[in-house]
Amino acid sequence: MSKVVGIDLGTTNSLVAYVRDGVPVVIRDKSGDALVPSIVSSSPDGTMFVGREAQRRLLTDANRTVYSVKRFMGKGVDDVKDEAKLLPFRVAGEAGGVVRIGLGDREFTPPEISALILRELKHRAEEFFASQGEIDSEVDRAVITVPAYFNDAQRTATRDAGRIAGLEVLRIINEPTAASLAYGLDKRHTGVIAVYDFGGGTFDISILRVEDGVFQVLATNGDTHLGGDDIDMLLVEQILLDLESEQPSYVVSGLSRTKTATAEQIQEIRKAVIRAKWDLSDQEETELLGKRITRTEFEQLIRPIVDRTLRPCLQALGDAQLDASEIDEIVLVGGSTRIPLVRRLVADLFGKTPHSELNPDEVVALGAAVQADILITGNRELLLLDVTPLSLGIETMGGVVSKIILRNSTIPATGSEMFTTGVDNQTAVDIHVLQGERELVGDNRSLARFKLRGIPPMPAGMPRVQVQFQIDANGILSVTATELRTNIQQAIEVKPSYGLTDEQVEQMLLDSFEHAEADFAARLLIDAKNEAESVVNATEKTFRSAEFAEVARTELAPGEQKRIEQALVGLKHVMLSSDREAILQWTKVLNDATQHLAEIMMNRSVKEALTGKNIEAL
Amino acid sequence: MSSPIHAEIVQVCRTCGGGAPVDVHFCPQCTKILRLGRQGDYFAFLGVPRQLNLDLAELEQRFRALSRQFHPDYFYNSSAAERVASLERSSYLNDAYRTLKQPISRISYLLELEGIWTSADKTGVNASKQVPPALLEEVFALNEELDEVRMLRESGAPADQWRPRLQHAAKPIEAKRAEHEEQLQTLAARWDALGEQPSAEDRKTVLNALRERMLERNYINNLLGTIERELNGSGLEASDSRPVPKPEV
Repeated sequence: MSKVVGIDLGTTNSLVAYVRDGVPVVIRDKSGDALVPSIVSSSPDGTMFVGREAQRRLLTDANRTVYSVKRFMGKGVDDVKDEAKLLPFRVAGEAGGVVRIGLGDREFTPPEISALILRELKHRAEEFFASQGEIDSEVDRAVITVPAYFNDAQRTATRDAGRIAGLEVLRIINEPTAASLAYGLDKRHTGVIAVYDFGGGTFDISILRVEDGVFQVLATNGDTHLGGDDIDMLLVEQILLDLESEQPSYVVSGLSRTKTATAEQIQEIRKAVIRAKWDLSDQEETELLGKRITRTEFEQLIRPIVDRTLRPCLQALGDAQLDASEIDEIVLVGGSTRIPLVRRLVADLFGKTPHSELNPDEVVALGAAVQADILITGNRELLLLDVTPLSLGIETMGGVVSKIILRNSTIPATGSEMFTTGVDNQTAVDIHVLQGERELVGDNRSLARFKLRGIPPMPAGMPRVQVQFQIDANGILSVTATELRTNIQQAIEVKPSYGLTDEQVEQMLLDSFEHAEADFAARLLIDAKNEAESVVNATEKTFRSAEFAEVARTELAPGEQKRIEQALVGLKHVMLSSDREAILQWTKVLNDATQHLAEIMMNRSVKEALTGKNIEAL
Repeated sequence: MSSPIHAEIVQVCRTCGGGAPVDVHFCPQCTKILRLGRQGDYFAFLGVPRQLNLDLAELEQRFRALSRQFHPDYFYNSSAAERVASLERSSYLNDAYRTLKQPISRISYLLELEGIWTSADKTGVNASKQVPPALLEEVFALNEELDEVRMLRESGAPADQWRPRLQHAAKPIEAKRAEHEEQLQTLAARWDALGEQPSAEDRKTVLNALRERMLERNYINNLLGTIERELNGSGLEASDSRPVPKPEV
């Protein structure tokens, strides 16, 4: 059986987890690292790097490296203009259309970039399952998490990303709810939980009632543009400003008042800022680019950002009709909750010490894995009942929004509205769907425009077209319409305001298959070159060693050194090409040729280690 | 208050073609989840009496139990028909629970179900047009006060001159609302006490009284909303100056 996983597709880092014998486990790489940085970088020849390698390239090829792409999911160019200025990569796209991100010589939509990250996670999981001796290690289905406050366009973009990555997206679930699921496993508690999820790019607060294994979300609120990124950006801006002053307090090598920082230098500052932020989570002071900075100073700076999480908390409490004191337990999720100021603020607000037993970086992926397991096995022990975070409505006369499904309605949910025609024999009606809490159309998020066609010609006001809105368990909307007098199902033409059409997603999936082959080949070539390089380096190091001359004279067979040298030249030559087969063959030739020499050197070093030491010292 | 229709077969199972009573969720023949056809109503669906004072703990417990039976999470590997049925029943259940949980939406739903609550009542069109007779006095006084406050504001008077007046003007309206809450409760109790076989006339009397109180209540809420907007400085003048785009239809 192919494998099913839970994926936390984060702004800063992404993780993949699965359920083993009923227990969710995060999948780590060989070095034990669970986090895949949500960063994608492209080399000049078009090879894509994802994760740690891409993160390293931020300092060398900033302009070919993309991070925090989650902030652009389901967005239009106009939404992100201000933010794009500070980022090293190009953010473009047609006005009123979906964002496009420049990566190397190509342009990608945010779902395509996210798909590259998902593909990396899929690959990591597949390698892990193969290493466990699983016969079918393919990962083809996943539950992917999103911030609870994501709107329909952002959820759809995430689902599209999964499809482009070749995954069947079993379910989109909310991050705070996933976290509560991971926490609820070992403790079969009953009560009201608040999940405070402050991540790299987004903030969510969800309030849940847990009873009989049912996790029922009462209210959710948040800000999809508020996270650790904002703290980093604030500090980077401060430092850049300081560097322009007469007597700067910070020192950045190669950067002076008269020089504008390069993209790479900005990334270097950003890296230092993140390091200092981490330090100050458990130290009282640290050094940031040559300047001492205390935790108090840091907290003063970031206080306005942290305070922005308060209003959503109060709003959610109000919507749940609860007082802060009625919350039984608080769960912290997301890297930014490591900041002591954030913990104090949460503790003050709820009058309780928050939980942090589980790693706040991993808890969401664990919950996603649990949900994936529920879907596949039909295990009925636990049940998540989530809500839609934003009200859904349609544009009515006067540019006013008429709400059809209210925020915090448990999903799946339905709503319907009756339409009629304005002129005789009108056969089509335009419908504009919006999401948000405001009264006027312009203040809400435009989701889509629908055109109802095929209405039977009748006098004005006679047709009765019932439009049915369905929000499914993913929080994603679908629309159907029926003309009630004739009972004719209407054709609906969907134009997502900031999304991709099904055809576009389909095409991207096909493109990604082509590129996947190229990417896979590139990966294999890189592996072969790395292997060849390590053999070459080891051989040359031996040749350079002080004792080699003596060894060659006394221990090597006649012509043996010559054979090694020939193999070395041959391998170095083919390494310049992209011929993987040749590289592998010559690597083997050199390996074989040096086997005897390697044994000799090994024996000598063992002997050397032993000389001059007595038995006791060993 | 079960009606005899519940005993008749009114649902058809899309899986096996068998028939089922209206408020049954799973096919009695093949046990598969049924598509949502001509469902009864929210009360019957949740298995609670058609009453206005409900045991909320019981309602919640039923909601959770039914969620566990219908939720799409548990139908991932099922047939397409079952998946659609699960989505339909879960959605309907969620709508039903949300409606019956709150006393006010419960009353308007009952009125709708009994054919007494018109769509004009629902959208508040009636509420904004005619002043309920019981409120004439308060509305008259409030309108006078609002006119004066607006004049004060237009002449540039500071907020501390007109704010207290508005807050004061809201007092009698708020008192009316409290009075109405009580009247609604009394009527709700009367409805619940009608018993198994009430006369059509008795039902109608209570329902009509409930409708009247509800319309008054909506009117009161509109008034309080108006005062609230005035307090926030975004009064009617502001909303009247909105651009008016082309109508949708």
